[in-house]
Amino acid sequence: MNPNINISQKLLETVEQYLNKTLDADKLKAFEDRLKNDLEFKTQVEDIKTMLLGIEAQSLKETLDDFHKETKTAPHNITKRKTATNKSLWNFGKFAAAAAIIIAVGSIWFFSHSPNQNLYAKYFKPDPGLPTTMSSTDNYDFYDAMVNYKRGDYALAIDKWQTLLTQKPENDTLNYFIGVAHLANKNETEAIPFLERSVLSEDAFPLISDAYHYLGLAYLKDGNLTLAKKNFELSQSEASKQIIIELND
Amino acid sequence: MGQAYRLEHQIQLLDAIKSNNSIALKGLYIANYPKVEALVLKNSGTVAHAKDIYQEAFITVWQHVKNDKFVPQNDTALQGYLYRIAKNKWIDVLRSKAFKNSKLLNIEALKVIKNDDIENDDFEDKKLKITMDAFKNLGEPCKSLLRQFYFDKKSMQDIANELKLDPASTRNKKYRCVKKLRELALKINI
Repeated sequence: MNPNINISQKLLETVEQYLNKTLDADKLKAFEDRLKNDLEFKTQVEDIKTMLLGIEAQSLKETLDDFHKETKTAPHNITKRKTATNKSLWNFGKFAAAAAIIIAVGSIWFFSHSPNQNLYAKYFKPDPGLPTTMSSTDNYDFYDAMVNYKRGDYALAIDKWQTLLTQKPENDTLNYFIGVAHLANKNETEAIPFLERSVLSEDAFPLISDAYHYLGLAYLKDGNLTLAKKNFELSQSEASKQIIIELND
Repeated sequence: MGQAYRLEHQIQLLDAIKSNNSIALKGLYIANYPKVEALVLKNSGTVAHAKDIYQEAFITVWQHVKNDKFVPQNDTALQGYLYRIAKNKWIDVLRSKAFKNSKLLNIEALKVIKNDDIENDDFEDKKLKITMDAFKNLGEPCKSLLRQFYFDKKSMQDIANELKLDPASTRNKKYRCVKKLRELALKINI
């Protein structure tokens, strides 16, 4: 915008008419001719156009926040497109990577805090969840709920996973995530039985260390120090080891 | 016949958008958000990212429609266009240094969504952003008047009635508000 160029009321209103296509034929011709030949006039018109667009764009932007309150979340769409496949339902390939991230995040987070009395508040950080990729066609329901979990819609995620759990009550991953979702939802009492079931896994469960860690945290919050310690000791995570040191101090 | 009907429908939709018809804008917004949210959430983003990116894309699409830069080819052309712009904007965020530094970037995610190379549609030029910012910070009486006239497309007579002024004074007031907005924008520009 050029500060040295003045914009008169007449010009403003002519540009409005031009943009609204309400200029009569003669005036339109004169206007367009001047646009072609008069550089200063062209700049003035461009400035006005930008301003009017800015008014509308910002007004729209402020309206969008109202619209946003009525949007539904992504999973509704995903559910519609769900494919009924159960094969390779619990592929743990990605889980190990997730576990590494959990440990890394947990460690960074641990070392960035100084000790205080509220150990739980100090050590608890929700499990970041598993990566959900666009190419996932298998196992839609599980990842659908994972999207809710990552959004912080823990109750909804729990509901969806509970439905899957009725088909696979012993599944370690499901029990683990329902447990950590309850814990993230500030409901440690509900979390405990699920986490307990997850550590009973007979298979090599890649998240076992994290499961013991969160179980320890759940007991810690629940006030059962003995069981909290027992589970922290079973976890290989750095955070659990540190909590034990602090608990023994 | 079906195709012609659907195109006609798209054209009606574009006309409604051009006139800032709130029902059309809201319908378009609500219907297309979930897909964009799913895209962002599945590719290293959060709900807050999804909302920002979507709103930015929505405003870009609205601008393109207003400027006749967008011509529909089929019945869902506009919806697809909105999604593509949102996707491109999200790719830009993933590529940005700030994002890479602040997040553990899932490189795989980037590969998955970077599958088509549409030109980068960043039409929100600096000048427009400055004006938007200036309008955001303009005092409420002026903001309300300009919004009603330029965005809600209310008639000068209706606005004058509401303000209990005559149309000529309302026109003058509107002009002074535009001038005020321009001064504010020029200040931001410096």
